[in-house]
Amino acid sequence: MSIIAPKFKLSEFIKSILDNIFWILLILTLIGLPAIQFILFYIEMPVINGELLTPFLALTWLADPSRSIPIIKAFMTTDLFRIAAFPGFGFAALIAAGTIFVERKMLAKLQLRVGPFYCGKVEGILQLMGDGLKLISKEIIIPAKADKPLFWAAPVLFVATAAAFVALIPVAPGWVVADIDVGLLAVFAVIGFFPVITILSAWSANSKFPFIGGIRALYQMVSFEIPLILSLLGVVILTGTLNLSEIAASQSSFPWIIFLPVGAIVFFITMLAELERIPFDLPEAESEIVAGWLTEFSGMMYGLVQLGTYLKLYAFAALFVVLFLGGWNGPMLWPPFPEEIITEGIELGPVTAQFPGLPILTQEMINGTLWFVLKTVGVIFFILLPRGVFPRIRVDLLLDLGWKKLIGLAFVNIFIALGLLYAGILGPGGIF
Amino acid sequence: MADAVFLALSVITIGSAIAALELRSLVYGSIALMGTLGGVAGFFLLLDSPFVAMFQVAVYIGSIAVLILFTVMLVKRELIFKKIEDKRRKFAGIGLMLVLMVGLGAVVLDSGIKEITTDEPPVDFREIGTDFLTYYWPALILMALILSGAVTGALVLARRVDEENGQRVK
Repeated sequence: MSIIAPKFKLSEFIKSILDNIFWILLILTLIGLPAIQFILFYIEMPVINGELLTPFLALTWLADPSRSIPIIKAFMTTDLFRIAAFPGFGFAALIAAGTIFVERKMLAKLQLRVGPFYCGKVEGILQLMGDGLKLISKEIIIPAKADKPLFWAAPVLFVATAAAFVALIPVAPGWVVADIDVGLLAVFAVIGFFPVITILSAWSANSKFPFIGGIRALYQMVSFEIPLILSLLGVVILTGTLNLSEIAASQSSFPWIIFLPVGAIVFFITMLAELERIPFDLPEAESEIVAGWLTEFSGMMYGLVQLGTYLKLYAFAALFVVLFLGGWNGPMLWPPFPEEIITEGIELGPVTAQFPGLPILTQEMINGTLWFVLKTVGVIFFILLPRGVFPRIRVDLLLDLGWKKLIGLAFVNIFIALGLLYAGILGPGGIF
Repeated sequence: MADAVFLALSVITIGSAIAALELRSLVYGSIALMGTLGGVAGFFLLLDSPFVAMFQVAVYIGSIAVLILFTVMLVKRELIFKKIEDKRRKFAGIGLMLVLMVGLGAVVLDSGIKEITTDEPPVDFREIGTDFLTYYWPALILMALILSGAVTGALVLARRVDEENGQRVK
């Protein structure tokens, strides 16, 4: 006997399904068939390729893959698909959701706990969906003396900025939402918005803990932006371009982390600080200031901020992959599309089906995406790992690290890059 | 198309500039200032120089506006300025602004801006970099010296006297 539906009976369940089928058939007979008759009799149908377009022909076309595949392919090149689905928001949100689940489960395993377990029978796989439903259905509480316009705008702006960051990341050759010449500068410009939004949301809540957290987030992000920008200049010096796609394509034979390990380490540490992750989670230190600048958010506002945080995590990990780990480059793992399907079609007994327009995705694109996702997931793993290992760092040590050590190391990295460039080993006109 | 974008950008830039001056709430004033700076970045984009536009956003919105917000939030408002609601000052300010704008506009219009051809390709930022490192190298060195002087001065000013080996002694 289930707790959720105590009066559940299998026979009634089957009866309700049969009822639904009956009503659907009845409505189709009474409304659907007369509608088709009406169209056939009274509306003049166009003639396409010498054939009169009847409703039956239209249905046949919809079901015919040789006609629907080109439509799908055309749709996949549109801007809408790129922004909403593949290299843009949908893809990133999928990886972000996976990250949240893996983080909770992995942390639990590291700390000898069980973690999400009951939701969805198998290892709590549906926990995220349950959390999302809970956040959507919760009431949004706004503090009485909050500055309402800013308080409402902050989560939306946060997600929008994170999505703008995601839009700059090239996933596979040619698969990027915004392929601009000054891509890396655009990344810096987008990163600059995060502290503004954080401090505004913290101020607008008109409460102690968010404000302390917001001020902490502000100085942490602003002071770590400098080593972040400096640590990436080595790659720019060696590639001679700011376009992220070109930077990824320039690493076809070796990734830059081989020659610029110092820059990669500095970038990784600054990345942890920009993402407010342990050991740099002072803005959200839950044992000191409740939840930092997120304290007053409730319901789906908190959900939006959480989504934005994990989109940002994905975007930073992807930026690390693009700049230091070679982006989509890697050995060809994906098998080529079988030629005989294109030339001869698929044989199913007596029937042979021809599919013009196949393959939908090229082998290079699938292989590139595969490598990109593998590397990104690896980097995300290393971002998650410190949370189970390290304690929180002290404030003065944090600023000391950012202003003295990391900036110094970033300059060391720039001099390594300049040395390689002027020695004629790498870069434009180099040996490699 | 470009004209409509130009008009919208002008409205955003000038409107938020006026708002930045006139709003009583300092935080909203600094947000309006961000709008002005973003509008200027939009003008740079419209002028086919995304490099400058991105730097405008990264430096002015990402750093300077944040600095202003930080200051506004940490300092008590009454300590910064006293409210002086004076009609004569206001009109004098508007008159001064009009005189300045007319003067600058006359200079700009007289500078041959009407004969500029608009369909030329945008200047590549690599050329700007090459110019900086070849013809304009003294300016670059001067800027570097001024900036490093400023950074060193800031570090000297921020140094704590009562600190030894990272620990406070007093």
